[in-house]
Amino acid sequence: MSEVVLESLTKAYGDEVAVDGVELTIHDGEILGVVGPSGCGKTTTLRTIAGFETPTQGRVLFDGVDVTHVPPEERHVGLVFQSYALFDTMSVRANVAFGLKMQGVSTAERRKRADELLALLDIADLADRRPTTLSGGQQQRVGLARALAIEPHVLLLDEPMTGLDAKLKTRLRDEIGNLLADLGVTALYVTHDQEEAMAMCDRIAVLDDGTVEQVGTPAEIYRRPANAFVANFVGSSTLLEGVAENGHVDLGFTELPVAAETDGSIRVAARPAAFELGEGQIEADVTNVTYLGDRTQLTATLPDDTTVTLHADGSDSYRVGDSIPLSIDADRVHVLESD
Amino acid sequence: MSVRSSATASVRRVATLAAATARPTTERDRERRRIAIMCLPFFALATVAGFVPLAMLVRISLAEETVWIEGWSLEAWRTLATTAEYRWVAWNTLWFVGLATLVSVALGVAVSHVLEKYELPFERAVVAAVSFPIALPGIIVAYLIIVLLGRQGLVTNAIAVATGQSALDLASATAITGLFLGYVYSLLPRATMVLRGTYAEVNVQAEEAARALGASRWQTFYHVTFPEIRPGIVAAAILTFRSGLAIFGTVLILQSHRVLTLQIHDEISVGSYDPDIAAAIGLVYVAFIVAVTFVGLRFIENEAVEI
Repeated sequence: MSEVVLESLTKAYGDEVAVDGVELTIHDGEILGVVGPSGCGKTTTLRTIAGFETPTQGRVLFDGVDVTHVPPEERHVGLVFQSYALFDTMSVRANVAFGLKMQGVSTAERRKRADELLALLDIADLADRRPTTLSGGQQQRVGLARALAIEPHVLLLDEPMTGLDAKLKTRLRDEIGNLLADLGVTALYVTHDQEEAMAMCDRIAVLDDGTVEQVGTPAEIYRRPANAFVANFVGSSTLLEGVAENGHVDLGFTELPVAAETDGSIRVAARPAAFELGEGQIEADVTNVTYLGDRTQLTATLPDDTTVTLHADGSDSYRVGDSIPLSIDADRVHVLESD
Repeated sequence: MSVRSSATASVRRVATLAAATARPTTERDRERRRIAIMCLPFFALATVAGFVPLAMLVRISLAEETVWIEGWSLEAWRTLATTAEYRWVAWNTLWFVGLATLVSVALGVAVSHVLEKYELPFERAVVAAVSFPIALPGIIVAYLIIVLLGRQGLVTNAIAVATGQSALDLASATAITGLFLGYVYSLLPRATMVLRGTYAEVNVQAEEAARALGASRWQTFYHVTFPEIRPGIVAAAILTFRSGLAIFGTVLILQSHRVLTLQIHDEISVGSYDPDIAAAIGLVYVAFIVAVTFVGLRFIENEAVEI
């Protein structure tokens, strides 16, 4: 496996800039998640690493070697697609062995290695089946086995779980995450599902409008979002306007002992977990109640008319129009650096 | 149950079905009526323009006296089976149209590949240029070939000027090569029309997966694209081959190769009037086309490609 570095990567289609000066490093053996809304440039970034797009500017380096203009077939990357993209006219075993065949590996050897990978992914019994006869989860396992068979420099996964049902997604996510970690695979994991990225990735890069907004571990991204976009995109956040002064932030309706770098107008991001319901000086008016089984999600209005998302236990006792007391845990709010 | 009561029951079932179709009460009945309404005009046309003339051809080929179509005789079929010239015409037709089909489909694959895979400047103009010969009568195609490759032809004279050879020696419009060019020019749009539709369905991500796995563009085409477009290639080959067999105007003008259509024309021309033989040739032609279509369709089924 290799370290992959993107240097000032820019990709434009005419006047449309899809990726704008992206700087990213995927460390050897690391799974880097790339999350962002549709059209943020995450798939273009992946395709540029694979060699299917040539950057307008910038470089792609594998272990320090510039591969920017190397064609896809010489890059030695594994690709896993949302649509599986299996070879329907071949058996499952032939799919997995295809890359080895292109490398000139003998028939016996590629059969042996394909069968080993199929066993590793727990689909050995499907070896002689056609991909079209398999379920979505099984097809994605075949896709992963096929990509891993060539022992790629980097594994590129483009929304591989989208389209699978929730339970299967969770199971496959855990299995694939453990497998990639065990194999020490360097991987780029593109997804719009931040929960999936948090569960599977060592670090996450949040993209918006072709630029990297923040790179960090899942906990860093969640607890200390760099800006309002990250705070809103990763999990749900309430942005509160306030004035910082002498180690305190005055929100108008309450004061928090939170230190900001500079005094003056600031914004703080508060996750639902920062709000403690049931006691406190702040009165919030409930405007919507959604019962989710293990918890109840409330939408409420704070005294300054800010709309806030709150999580309560799975009680069904909340009603629209209720006024509920709450407090804000200062340790769980985060002062935003910039917008 | 006796044969008679069984037949009565069948007639009753058909009558009930017809009545339900005419006055539907369920959604299934209404669907059946829609199908009947939409298909009846075709079957009426096929009967008048296809099945009845075919039956007439059978009768003519077996007639002892072909002007008033009287009496019965197998003479036309015997002549067809035992005369070497007819076998020679059949072979001429098969290899010539087969080769034209092969070239047209190969060119069609290349053109469809470019049209569907790449963004081209003036794509509409390219599509129009590729597809417009489909509307050209064979006579016009022949004329175009003469204008290009005839004694006063543009290409003939350009080569004559470039090489110093005589234009008379170089003219190939009425040689078999000129006719072949005319066939391919007429057939290419048909092949392309079918293949473009097939190419639009090709799984581009599977092709990309193959390339990421180390396959060159050619290997990707061979291992991934070709198996996917194979049904389209077979369909294009069937359509092109059948169309090639039917070409008449071009071969009538250029006359450089004796094929089936030209032979039928000669059999019903004044001077060598043998309508019974022409009918027999026509029937062999129809039977052959139907057989080719059925055999070809069997190849459309995908087969697994193993390691």
